[in-house]
Amino acid sequence: MKVVIGVVGNDIHVVANRLIELSLGARGFEVFNLGVNTYLEEFFDAAVETNADVLLISSLNGEAEGWSREVKLLRSKYKTLDKLVMVIGGNLVVGTASAEEIVPKYKKYGFDLVFHQVDLNTGLDALEVYLGERKIS
Amino acid sequence: MSRAKLLIDVGSTYFKVSTPSSIEQHFRDFNKDILDDLTHKCGETIHAYKKEDIYICSSANGGLSTLIIGITESFSLKYATNIAFNSGINIIDKVLYQNIQEYSVPSDLIDVVIVVGGIDSSCDIFGEPLFSYLKMLKYSNIVYVGSGKDASKIQEKIPNLVVLPNIIDHRLHIVEENLKEYLTNLYQLDIEGKEDIKNLYTITANQIYSTPYIVNQTLPFIGTKFSVVNPFILIDIGGATTDIHYSKDLVDDNIVTTNEYDRLVFKKLGVFKSKESLIFSAKNNEFVYELLTHLKVTENIFEQQSEKALQVLMQLALFLVLCKISHYKKAYINLKLLSINSIVLTGGITKVLADAQMEDIISFFYKKILNSNHNPSVVMDHNYDIWTLGLTNNKG
Repeated sequence: MKVVIGVVGNDIHVVANRLIELSLGARGFEVFNLGVNTYLEEFFDAAVETNADVLLISSLNGEAEGWSREVKLLRSKYKTLDKLVMVIGGNLVVGTASAEEIVPKYKKYGFDLVFHQVDLNTGLDALEVYLGERKIS
Repeated sequence: MSRAKLLIDVGSTYFKVSTPSSIEQHFRDFNKDILDDLTHKCGETIHAYKKEDIYICSSANGGLSTLIIGITESFSLKYATNIAFNSGINIIDKVLYQNIQEYSVPSDLIDVVIVVGGIDSSCDIFGEPLFSYLKMLKYSNIVYVGSGKDASKIQEKIPNLVVLPNIIDHRLHIVEENLKEYLTNLYQLDIEGKEDIKNLYTITANQIYSTPYIVNQTLPFIGTKFSVVNPFILIDIGGATTDIHYSKDLVDDNIVTTNEYDRLVFKKLGVFKSKESLIFSAKNNEFVYELLTHLKVTENIFEQQSEKALQVLMQLALFLVLCKISHYKKAYINLKLLSINSIVLTGGITKVLADAQMEDIISFFYKKILNSNHNPSVVMDHNYDIWTLGLTNNKG
């Protein structure tokens, strides 16, 4: 299964991104790491070029929210990404807010799975469960 | 001791002949074959050299044209565009495959179509819409540099398709070499295939190269002839095209390539063969009238045929090309012009404008467009040293 990962916007948290790459690799995923400072267009374009199953965007400084508002509109311009699973994780807010507030907001932006301040392995476990369920259904 | 060499550059408007002691420049007679014109004007010089000692380069045919079909802007189209520019190819259009049915089909004959998309493990990327589009398109060559898995399927459907290794590797990085070599060879064959150029082989035993290729090869050694401080740009304004060669440091793009210098061609910004399109571009630039006032002329100068009119056109070409690579105009590439330390000027412009006239335009550009007092040093290649350096150092 192919996953495109990277850190969105003006965020240079390179270590966390590398840990995600290693963890996904250890779980058998084929990972395409776009690195830090990545634009949304590049995420979607990479998903097209690689024919990825999952797009996993991370953000640690909270600026994902500004970018994520564009996700639905941008994705609608692509004709081959209907089956792409959209995941976002990290610290998804500037300041403080609970997951109960954050998760519905990001789902509305177009993400299938949202992990706000969730431990990496817990998040990836949830991703695998989600992918398993989707495959079964 | 090495033998004296005779260097000849055949441009679209002028040709230049360089011996170790002198350099001549002549306006071409378009009613004559290049060889006839050359021997008529410089026969004595040419006949003083053996064929083995005569080296020729040419940009007279203006380069090849390409249309690129890719599947994303950030990877396939961007990478193929980068390689095409660096191979001296002019891009007619870029087609995003998912919307291919919405694009109009160019009526001109395209020299080479590039089809690209997907890493090697992706498959079933291209289908009927591509084949239908290609049926309507007139082209001489077609090359596929996309996913290896799809290559044989596409080759079955497209006659004479050349398949090369993917230009996108498994990490989504660019792989330039194969396509660049193919396009460079195609350009070379095109130059050699022109009847006019073929005839030049009667006076040289050496391969005839394209001039932009020669200039690009010179850039790493430019410091041996000029006081140029990196990063720099080199602008070659000629009769048909304007070329820019620039240090990679001036681009924000994260394309990792092996060559230090890239090249951009503006096919329609020359002062003779593409004069009309230069004036058209000028009239569409909101700052040009202010520039004309600054130069103390009116737009009537465009209608005139005089030394002054030619100087103004050259100054406009310089201004427009700087605009096109600045953040003022969203173009293929925007260079960090506030970071450059030197601007090197070569080509016909150095014979028409004085140093002060060029410095004046550059300073006008920085003030008006970039709102800055930045003042890169202007280096003039008055004697075509860049070209001669390239031609004498070129190892083929």
